[in-house]
Amino acid sequence: MNKTQKAAIFGLVTFLFCVVVMAYPFISIFILKSWPESFLSQFWPMIVYFVFIVASIIFLRKKQSPAEPDFDERDDLIKKNAVLAGFVSVCILLAAACIIPRFILGDEGVIPVHVLPFINLGIFMIAMLVYNVAVLIQYGWGGKDAQN
Amino acid sequence: MPKIEITNNIRRLRFDNGEMTQQQLADAAGVTRQTIIAIEAGKYSPSLTLAFKIARTFGQKVEEVFQYQGRNLQ
Repeated sequence: MNKTQKAAIFGLVTFLFCVVVMAYPFISIFILKSWPESFLSQFWPMIVYFVFIVASIIFLRKKQSPAEPDFDERDDLIKKNAVLAGFVSVCILLAAACIIPRFILGDEGVIPVHVLPFINLGIFMIAMLVYNVAVLIQYGWGGKDAQN
Repeated sequence: MPKIEITNNIRRLRFDNGEMTQQQLADAAGVTRQTIIAIEAGKYSPSLTLAFKIARTFGQKVEEVFQYQGRNLQ
């Protein structure tokens, strides 16, 4: 795998970790109705993510060969297409975020202000997910590895 | 409009040049191994600069490495 593929996988795993980090307190407070007492049980997602970051630094720096460039012309093209896919996803999600609440809440409906940052964060995270998936899909179209 | 086909015989040239590996060709051309794989598989058409670099690596002309299969415009 080259650096761009590794970075895309790193982005995907980071996205999954963010989902876990956000879901864990939500499940603890609203479903289990209890918050863990010990430091480890409260902050284990962050500790695991820290270990993952350190391991990724080593993983991302390792090259297939000493002369391998960080990125080449094909990587540029793939990233450009992936950025376009991410941009399109942002546009679609923003439109959905504007239209869907109107149909659910009606013309006189009200959304609390503190919901807006969560909507923005969610759109950003999904755009990053789309970008990383687009990179990996395009690499998958490049033909099978003929040699190790 | 008919699809433009650019084929190549990079794989044969690699084996004819001391069984060069894809990684060695990638290092010589200044690209990643995945790019060489995609070019050999016909999934990616290199830029003019990269085509010249690959041809020079084999000591060949560009036309001897890459062939245009599209419709004859004459």
